[in-house]
Amino acid sequence: MKSFDYRLETLKSMLLQAYHEKEKLDSDDRWHLNVMGLVRKIGPLPVKPDPLVQFGQFVWRLSPVTCLLIVMSAAVLLKFDFTPDYNVLIAFITDVEEVSLVQLLPL
Amino acid sequence: MQDDTPRTADADIIRKVVDGDINAFEVLVKRHQALVMRIVKKHLPYSEVEDTAQDVFIRAYRSLPAFRGSSDFSHWLSAIAVRTCYDYWRKAYRTREIPLSALTDRHQQWLENVMSAQSAKESAPEGYRSEAGEVLDWALTKLQAEDRIVLELVYFDGHSVKEAAELLGWSMANVKVRSFRARRKLEKILKNMVSRQGRLP
Repeated sequence: MKSFDYRLETLKSMLLQAYHEKEKLDSDDRWHLNVMGLVRKIGPLPVKPDPLVQFGQFVWRLSPVTCLLIVMSAAVLLKFDFTPDYNVLIAFITDVEEVSLVQLLPL
Repeated sequence: MQDDTPRTADADIIRKVVDGDINAFEVLVKRHQALVMRIVKKHLPYSEVEDTAQDVFIRAYRSLPAFRGSSDFSHWLSAIAVRTCYDYWRKAYRTREIPLSALTDRHQQWLENVMSAQSAKESAPEGYRSEAGEVLDWALTKLQAEDRIVLELVYFDGHSVKEAAELLGWSMANVKVRSFRARRKLEKILKNMVSRQGRLP
């Protein structure tokens, strides 16, 4: 009767040999034709987009938000009515007597 | 007509494929099919080899735009093949498609021959070739998918820890720990087989 270690080592070497023999098994080489069939079904690979194009797409994606912000800003301006400030400005610009800042200030 | 001479570098063919020339991929398939088959045959049951090899090339085709060319294409493809095999075992273990049947009389007979043989040559008669593979599969089935793949790569194929880590996309520490534990588990399984065989009349 062989020793336990000897039997264990023999079993290990036999299993290792069996593992390496698996790669020698025959196979049908025509399987690669199926690969090409599947690849043709998938079609051409998606082309990586240009960085400038990607940036353009990013900007356009933000355009609805930008439009919304413009509308909201317009609504706020209309609500707070900026015309009085505008009239004061016009009065200064069209002042024929050329009121200077010194005259206006209580000096 | 495809130019599949070795002079056409893989990188040039990859560029053609990425640019939309699907047929150029056939050159890569023909050139590397032996490598993929060798890997898949060793790690998977024979019945799954062709489907999995196809899957490897489909995965490679889809991933081609991500191939940076920093490593050899065959090395990159090997990593895809190993990970596809690992995915197969993970799925098989999860869905419990692994046959857990006990060893048959023929397997026991093979084991008896191995134990009593004077040499490895004597213990490997022609008629028992498939039994050896089946006993190995039976033993490996007792391990987890992770243990199985790492054990095959490090101890059976002889890859270094670094190579196995690159192939699997794991850290080196993970491969080291896994392979050590897996080897101990397999050793225990084999010891049980030997001691059980020794108790048989």
